Amino acid sequence: MTDYKHIGKDFVPPDILGKVTGKAKYAEDFRVDGMVFARLYTSPIAHGKVTHIDTSALDTMEGVIGVLTADDVPAVEAPNAAILTNSPAYIGDPILAVAAVDELTAEEAMTRIKVTIEALPFAVDPLDSLIEGGPDAREEGNIFVRSREGSGFRTVKWSQQQVDEFRAGKEPTGEFTDEWSYGDVEGGFANAEVIFEAPFVTTGYAHMSMEARTAMAYWQNGTCYVYGSAQSQSFWMPGLARLLGVEMSKVVLISENTGGGFGSKIGAYPIAALPGYFSKKLGRPVQLRITREQEYYIGSARVGFQGWIKMGFARNGRMTAADVFIIEDIGPNATGGDGSSAGGAVSLVYDPAAMRFRGLPVLTNTTPRGAQRGPGQNQIAAVMAPLMDRAARELHMDPLEIRKINAVNSDTTVYAEQLPVTSAYMTEALEKGADMFDWDTKYNQPRRNGNKVIGVGIGQGYHSAGTKGFDGLIRITPDGKIHLHSGIGNLGTYSYASTTRAAAEVLKCEWEDCVIHHGNTEANLPWSSYQAGSVSTFTHTRANYVAAMDAVDKMKAITAETLGGVADDYDIDGERVFNISSPAQGMTYAAVAARAIQLGGAYSGASYPDDIHEITQRAVQNIAGTGLIGVAKDKLAQEGVIPGLAAAFVEIELDLETGKYDILDYVGIAECGTVMHPQGLAGQMKGGAVWGMGMAGLERHVYDPQNGLPANVGYHQCGIPTYLDVPAVIRTSAVDLPDPQNPFGARGIGEPAMGCSVAALTSAISDALGGHTFGRTPVSRDMIVNHIAGKPQSFKPQQTNNF
Amino acid sequence: MDLVTYKNDVWGREVILGVSWDLLWVVIVAAFVIIAVHAVVVGNRKQKPRPSSEGKRIERHDGKDRIFHWVMAGSVIVLLITGIFPIVGIEFSWLTLHWAAGLVLTASVLFHIVRSLFWQDRSSMSIHPTDLRETVDASRKPGKYSIEQKGMHLAVTVLVLLVIGSGLVMFAMIDTPWWERTNALSEATLGWVFLVHGLSTLALIGVISLHIYFALRPEKLFYTRSMIKGWISEDELKAHHDPEKWPEDSA
Amino acid sequence: MPSYDVMPDVPLFQPAEIGDALNLVEQFGKGGWVLGGGQDTYGWLKDRAKQPTALIDLNGIEALHGIRQTDDGLEIGATTTLREIIANPLIKRDYELLASAASRVASPQIRNVGTLGGNVGQDARCWYYRRGLACYRAGGNLCYADSPQGMNREHALFDASRCVAVSPSDTATALVALQATMIARSVNGRREIAAEDFFVGPATHITNMTSLEPDEILTAVRIPSHWAGSRFYFEKVADRDVWDFALVSIAVVMTMDGDTITNSRFVCGGVACTPYRLHDVENAARGRTLSDESGDALAALASQGAKPLNYNHFKIPLMENLVRRAMRG
Repeated sequence: MTDYKHIGKDFVPPDILGKVTGKAKYAEDFRVDGMVFARLYTSPIAHGKVTHIDTSALDTMEGVIGVLTADDVPAVEAPNAAILTNSPAYIGDPILAVAAVDELTAEEAMTRIKVTIEALPFAVDPLDSLIEGGPDAREEGNIFVRSREGSGFRTVKWSQQQVDEFRAGKEPTGEFTDEWSYGDVEGGFANAEVIFEAPFVTTGYAHMSMEARTAMAYWQNGTCYVYGSAQSQSFWMPGLARLLGVEMSKVVLISENTGGGFGSKIGAYPIAALPGYFSKKLGRPVQLRITREQEYYIGSARVGFQGWIKMGFARNGRMTAADVFIIEDIGPNATGGDGSSAGGAVSLVYDPAAMRFRGLPVLTNTTPRGAQRGPGQNQIAAVMAPLMDRAARELHMDPLEIRKINAVNSDTTVYAEQLPVTSAYMTEALEKGADMFDWDTKYNQPRRNGNKVIGVGIGQGYHSAGTKGFDGLIRITPDGKIHLHSGIGNLGTYSYASTTRAAAEVLKCEWEDCVIHHGNTEANLPWSSYQAGSVSTFTHTRANYVAAMDAVDKMKAITAETLGGVADDYDIDGERVFNISSPAQGMTYAAVAARAIQLGGAYSGASYPDDIHEITQRAVQNIAGTGLIGVAKDKLAQEGVIPGLAAAFVEIELDLETGKYDILDYVGIAECGTVMHPQGLAGQMKGGAVWGMGMAGLERHVYDPQNGLPANVGYHQCGIPTYLDVPAVIRTSAVDLPDPQNPFGARGIGEPAMGCSVAALTSAISDALGGHTFGRTPVSRDMIVNHIAGKPQSFKPQQTNNF
Repeated sequence: MDLVTYKNDVWGREVILGVSWDLLWVVIVAAFVIIAVHAVVVGNRKQKPRPSSEGKRIERHDGKDRIFHWVMAGSVIVLLITGIFPIVGIEFSWLTLHWAAGLVLTASVLFHIVRSLFWQDRSSMSIHPTDLRETVDASRKPGKYSIEQKGMHLAVTVLVLLVIGSGLVMFAMIDTPWWERTNALSEATLGWVFLVHGLSTLALIGVISLHIYFALRPEKLFYTRSMIKGWISEDELKAHHDPEKWPEDSA
Repeated sequence: MPSYDVMPDVPLFQPAEIGDALNLVEQFGKGGWVLGGGQDTYGWLKDRAKQPTALIDLNGIEALHGIRQTDDGLEIGATTTLREIIANPLIKRDYELLASAASRVASPQIRNVGTLGGNVGQDARCWYYRRGLACYRAGGNLCYADSPQGMNREHALFDASRCVAVSPSDTATALVALQATMIARSVNGRREIAAEDFFVGPATHITNMTSLEPDEILTAVRIPSHWAGSRFYFEKVADRDVWDFALVSIAVVMTMDGDTITNSRFVCGGVACTPYRLHDVENAARGRTLSDESGDALAALASQGAKPLNYNHFKIPLMENLVRRAMRG
């Protein structure tokens, strides 16, 4: 293994101190002169039309500064989310905002506003809308298909019999809108030794960002300054500018720290632009801090699934065919795509010889959906794990063996297009995990002890974990400092910092001499990817690598130009450029930087490659002449799917009398290429594990179908696992084999870290109950108690968004 | 003071919650004032000699009607106690008693309606425009029922039917041994039902207060006796009624 | 709809003497809001679901705080925190049932500030009610939870009357089992209320969980020595080990003659609007020994008369199982 100076080593990200001391500033911590506070008035009704707004009572109310309605912001075509709307499609849809001298006054003002809303039919369970005669979540239809070929509303209805059959677990025969396949599916089933079908439900649930989304904005010389709660930094800019209706050069985004996004703050969301419009209208800075409850309305949620799967296995355990059908609960704004991603995950993780996917995205009047950690992949991981156990049982195999037989490796081809993968070592992950967990002993131990029973489970997680084509930007100043410009965003994973260590590695410099610039457009940040989809590590180690390589090339050229010879005569180390044949001859980075300023041109950033993004161009223009500039677009070779993989092993003790289980042991293994930042990786693996435990047993949306009311609009009701609900020790490790398509061998891991956990736990619960598969997440206490007592479950088969 | 109370429904729209129970005190005070004024005015009049209760007895209410009256009276009293006491702060487990008494009232009223439709002389209780002359012309005597009695009957009929009708709708909104509640009505409609129930209850409290007052007045006590024992004397008949208008077959 | 989530302007009184506090509750009547640990206060106020005219903070009154031995047991001041109850050696020794129950309340953070008075006085946790809807319990004219499609997983099996919410208090079950007495004071005097009568159901008091009058303050809880040191069993089944309210809980006290149960009280939480006595189980337990057979025999009696709603029939086997566990030797 390569001996790196920074890669694979722990470090202290610069924002840590602020976070533990409370000095870190989040969007709501900013105050500027003249700032006023806005609050949101949201829809109390699941679907309706605003017919009248009477704010006359506010005209004379002291402390009220102004009102912003849908008429003050750009209209948006359904089903897309608007900043404010007169056609609310879920409870909590923002209708207007009031600005006042303080939040209390703004809220008091809300009670004096009269908003008349005409009620429309609504649906909180896709099947209620799908059934003939059922309500449509939007007046335009109950389905919205987003595709490259064209997006649009559809109305799809299934007959009562089709819905009944689907509820009964039979193959759906109703209309669907999305389909792909590869291989000979029928032939695959024909050759199978074991075939079974299973219905499933994975209920959606909130993203639960601890920082309720906040934005503060003001205008200065035609530029809008937005202090936002953003998951990404540079990636937000195009969307934010579009929302504000201005050129990207006229927007400054400050987002130094973000209290969680989990997929709900990837791009600029509409409400982030509200203060911009309000500020323009009032001529004063406006801060909008939504409430905790509103975060549950507009803060996004995981897509729910109601599906059916059929799988065939050969005698040796190989999956010969898979047929997947998924109805997606895509909320009111048609945000999803999880279904097809789930199909893709089946294709990659279990590598069936042939496969078909069919999907149907159904609109509901529930909280808007968004990508949530492993969107699609993690839902299906939870569904698949107990079914793989079932296959193993029917084939008299060890559950570990059947997973290894079907494990993705570097030769596997995946998805409908049967693409190659950059590299994959799932077998190694499973073996490493089994070893750490002591699978053989635990699997073969006596299971029953009085009313307690031991269950063991294995989970596998996957998400594509990288992209390419973004820019890197570094700068070396005459004081010898190495400035690493990171445009990723600070979601809390520290990858904004850890990926810059790729540049430090290339530059062979001391970490103490590096300064990271991030969190503010005016910090001159390059065009960077979204901080989501597990992409940051793969993508931005590459971007930082190419920028640093550019800097190295320039430093050698400058040194050659200054001391004689050609660039290839020189090498770097110890923050010096030196002559390879005469190491004493050389220049310090500081001296080279000073020289770069004198030389100008590309060295100082006076000129730059024309293929870099306009955001990077502007950053370079701003810092030109302040040092040596390394800037480049990532054009390194890249082909095929970049998998982030993880495997988890869990042991639980389930009490057959209370339905409660304790997690006795958890081992999570990352398969993410080279480990960049061990502590960061452990944090990801542990956080993902806890999240998966929440999804497996606790977290879900609940809606009252009669009134469309959401039952869980707070931390307590949403049932996130607490410190005492998870094991005190969560053991993690990594395969740590390099990926050939990253200069340091790194891939991402964020999402699989959770998928493996939810899967392992559903597998362990099923194991503890003698192989019973609920086909549902979460598996709640009441379901377990009812099952053991031989009682029917309370919900209708395939019902969703219920207790 | 409000007549009606409002609440927000599940979607935040203002709907009627029901009657404002502040009105209860208004009704009680108003009934008291009317009774007091009447008592004073009548007390100052020269008292006519009371007709004798001796002599020939004429049946005024037969047994079935008397039983009906007292069953109805009893159920209404139970309904009022169980309905009103918790509102004024005397708390007890009232709901089952209330609807059980309501069912008794409903059954007795149904019995009375059927009986009056097919077996009784409805004209003796119906109000004719000519009856109004009784109120101004002391020489005009009523048939079996005076205009005041007919008015009281009409008022009680209307109010009891309203309270029963609204009560039955409310009955469907709670769990009973026979069904589970449906919550089928919109909250706005439910509010109207509660309002009708409350208003008719309040009006009934007023009307019943007057009814009891008159029933206990010395000069009218013979009517009360007739509702208990069934008969009035010929003297009483002649003093207060016109035998011509009280056909023999109904006597 | 507004979201509020911001504290309203409301006057705060911080009396140092009980007399002043009693005068204040008398003065403000139904508008007065007595404040203990505040854990069931600020949410209501911030949501504007309750709009008191004054907050009366009892935490500064020395006399309401602390655990004292009495001639016949213990007296626990109403503002004694749950943490103090859990840590108290006397309670641990003689009334461990109460310590167990208190130790399962909410979260460590809440137990540090939450008081015994607040825990027994807390309001129903029905999510419809907590949303601020005008249901029966909030003075309205319908129940949203018990409708044909109502989401009522956490609601009552027994003794519902229009409202189907359950008693959420963990310590309440233990106090009823221990035959505690609640001491209420007003300017007019002092009232002792048996714990069993302190908690009231919707049939009589649909907008209150306790029989406290608006001008009364719960000042202390007395635990008689009757059950001191007897056999105790407490268990709470909740979704999570922290924070969640009981799906079903059980508090059991038993006196034994050798292996034989001579007397017992079985009280379930989370199944009715008040702590729910299992009288049939208690009667049948007399003379039995602790064993799986006894547990099976008694379990069947526990859930008799249960009227499950749409989503809560799992509570039936759950409470039966808790009786079984309590009867295990």
